[in-house]
Amino acid sequence: MFRKVLIANRGEIALRVISACREMGIRTVAVYSEADRNSLHVKFADEAICIGPPRSAESYLNVPAVISAAELADAEAIHPGYGLLSENANFAEVCRASNIKFIGPPPEVTRMMGEKSTARQTMKKAKVPILPGSDGIIENEGAALEWAKQVGYPVILKAVAGGGGRGMRICRNADELPGLFQQASAEAAGAFGNGDLYMEKFIERPRHIEFQVLADEHGNVMSLGERECSIQRRHQKLIEEAPAPALTSGLVDWEAMRDSAHKIVSLAGYTNAGTVEFIVDPAAGSFYFLEVNARLQVEHPVTEAITALDLVRWQIRIAEGDRLPEGLAGLGREQISGHAIEARVIAEDPAAGFLPSIGKILGWAEPRSPGVRVDTGFGKGSEVSRFYDSLVAKVIAHGASRSEAIQQLRAALEDFHVLGVKSNVDFLLSVLRHPEFEAGQIDTGFLARNFEGWRPSEPDAVVGALSERAATARPAVAATLRSSNPAWSAGDGFRNV
Amino acid sequence: MADGNNLEELRELVDFLKANGIAEFDMERTEWKVRIKFESAAAPTAGLNPAQLAMLMAGAGTGIPAPAAHAPHAAAGAQEAAAPAEEENLHEVKSPIVGTFYESPSPGAPPFVKVGDLVEAGQVLCIVEAMKLMNEIESDVAGEIVKRIATSGQPVEYGQPLFLIRAREERRKSS
Repeated sequence: MFRKVLIANRGEIALRVISACREMGIRTVAVYSEADRNSLHVKFADEAICIGPPRSAESYLNVPAVISAAELADAEAIHPGYGLLSENANFAEVCRASNIKFIGPPPEVTRMMGEKSTARQTMKKAKVPILPGSDGIIENEGAALEWAKQVGYPVILKAVAGGGGRGMRICRNADELPGLFQQASAEAAGAFGNGDLYMEKFIERPRHIEFQVLADEHGNVMSLGERECSIQRRHQKLIEEAPAPALTSGLVDWEAMRDSAHKIVSLAGYTNAGTVEFIVDPAAGSFYFLEVNARLQVEHPVTEAITALDLVRWQIRIAEGDRLPEGLAGLGREQISGHAIEARVIAEDPAAGFLPSIGKILGWAEPRSPGVRVDTGFGKGSEVSRFYDSLVAKVIAHGASRSEAIQQLRAALEDFHVLGVKSNVDFLLSVLRHPEFEAGQIDTGFLARNFEGWRPSEPDAVVGALSERAATARPAVAATLRSSNPAWSAGDGFRNV
Repeated sequence: MADGNNLEELRELVDFLKANGIAEFDMERTEWKVRIKFESAAAPTAGLNPAQLAMLMAGAGTGIPAPAAHAPHAAAGAQEAAAPAEEENLHEVKSPIVGTFYESPSPGAPPFVKVGDLVEAGQVLCIVEAMKLMNEIESDVAGEIVKRIATSGQPVEYGQPLFLIRAREERRKSS
C-alpha cells in the first residue's frame, strides 16, 4: 500500500485524484506553478510544493522538478492525471529509475501506442480492423485511382505535412478524383511547402466510440464497457455518454468491439487504466481502431456512474499490485446501470468564436441534486489562467434512461452559474435540447453541421445590465434572474419555472 | 481659508454627498465657494430603479471583494514577506529549482559564503540538489551577504528565498 502519492497535475483531475487518495488513507502531495499558488488542488492536498514559473513547460512538464518534488516529499508513487506528463514515456522511465511508481502503463507500452504507425502494424497483425489508409505517399492521380478502387469510395486525400483541413479533399467517385488530387496537392504545397498526399477511407457521419479497460500487473484484463464521444467541436470532445446510443441501437456489433478492445490491450502488454478508441461507420455497421489512450480519460466519470466502480481507486490499487477479478473478461450489458452523460464546462465565449475567456471567477454556483456530479478545480475567487486548459468543470448526470439523463443534465446546467469569465453553458444547453441529439442521431460532424454561427439567446436589457453588475455580486442574484426570465428557459418544456 | 473647522465641515459634506449618491455639488458663500464632483461611476446605472438595484445588491455583501478602489490592499498581503527587504534595498536570491539546499560543497567543508562576505555577481552561494545532481546556485548581484535564509539540508521549493544580499551599486533587475 502507498503511504503518499504525488499528483503531477492541476485543476479538476488533481482534485479527483486527491479525493480518491484520501478515501484510501493515502497522503497527497500537490505540485504547482507560481500561477496556481491559490488553486484548490494546492489547498486540498496534504502537502504542496511549488515547482516552477507559470508556463507548463517550466513547471508541470518539467520532469526533473516533478521528480525532485516527489523525492523531497518522500512520495512512493506519482499519479499523472490526464494530459501534461500522463503519456510521456520518458517521464515514466525516469520515475522507474528514481524508484517511484508511475501510476499508469509501463513506458514501453506508452511509447509503442504513441507511435501511430507501430500501433497500426500491431493491430493489423492482431486482425483488429483499422481504417484503410495508404500507409505512405500516393505519388500521382493514377496511384490514387488505383488505391480508391481497392478500398471503395468515398475516400479522403490528406496532406502528409498538414493539418487543419488544408490539403484535404473528400472524393466520392473516380470522375472527380484527379481534379481533387491536383487541388489538394497544390494547396498542401502552398500551405506547408510540401505537396505530398496520402489517402484514407472516408466515413460519412462517423461516430466516436471508445472502450474503457482496466488491466492489472498479473495479466488480467477487464473491459468496463463503452462511451460515445461523438459530440465534438474541432476534435475536442464536449459531451460524452455511456452506454453509446450507437451500440444500444444495434448499429454495430457490441461484443465484437469489446473483444477487439480486449485483444488490443492484452496484446500490447498494457497495464492500468486505458481507453481503446474506435471510429464507427454507421452506414456500413463497421468499426475501426483509432488509438489507445494510455491514461485516465477526462470522461471517465460516465463509466464510473454506470458501473459503480471508482476508476482512480482502481488505478492506484493496480499500481500497488492488486488483482482484478480473475477470469472475468469484462462487464456485460446487464451489469451496467442506467445511462450517464457528461458535459464539459469550458471558460470560453461561444458567441465570439469560442475564444478562451480568462480572468477571476467572481461568482460560482454549481448544481446539487440527486444523480448529478460536478468535478471541478474551480470556485469563487479562482483564476482562469491563460497558461492552462480552459476546462473549468465537468457536469455528469446519471439517470435510469438516456432521456432521463438528458433531462437531469439540462436541469443541472440551468443551475450552473459562472460570473467573471464567460462559459459555454448556454451552448451546451442548446446542444442538449436539439431534437437529433435527443434521438441519439449524433456523429462527429453534428456540431459543425447544426451549430455553425450559434448565438446565445439575448438576455433582455435588465438582465444584461444586471449581469454586468452581478460581476461584483453573488451568483444568487443572477440565478434568480435567469430562472425567472423566459429568455433563459425558452425551448425547454421540462423546467419552465 | 481652510482652517481646522472648515476642513472638518468639508469632510462631513463629502461623506454626506457620497452616502446619498450625489455625483456633483456646487455651493457659494460670500467668503468661500466649493465645487465637488465624483469621477467614479458611484451613481446607479441609468435606466435602473435605484431602490430595486439596492435591494438586489444588498445580498451581495458576504465575502465579496470590495470594489476596485480597495483592491490594491488585497495584493499587499502577498508582498508582506518582501516588504522589509524592499525598505532596506535588500536583494533576495531565490531558488531556481526544487531540491535540497546545502551551504557547503561537501559535508564538513566550510560554507561557500558567510554573513558579512562580499560576493560578486556569478559567485557560487550554495548548492541545491535535485535528482542527485548538485546544482550550484550563483548570486545574481554583487554585494554583501546579510542573511542566509535556508538552512543546510532543508528542502526548498521553486522561488523560495535563500539569501538576502545588500546590493553594492544599483540593484540588478531580478526575476
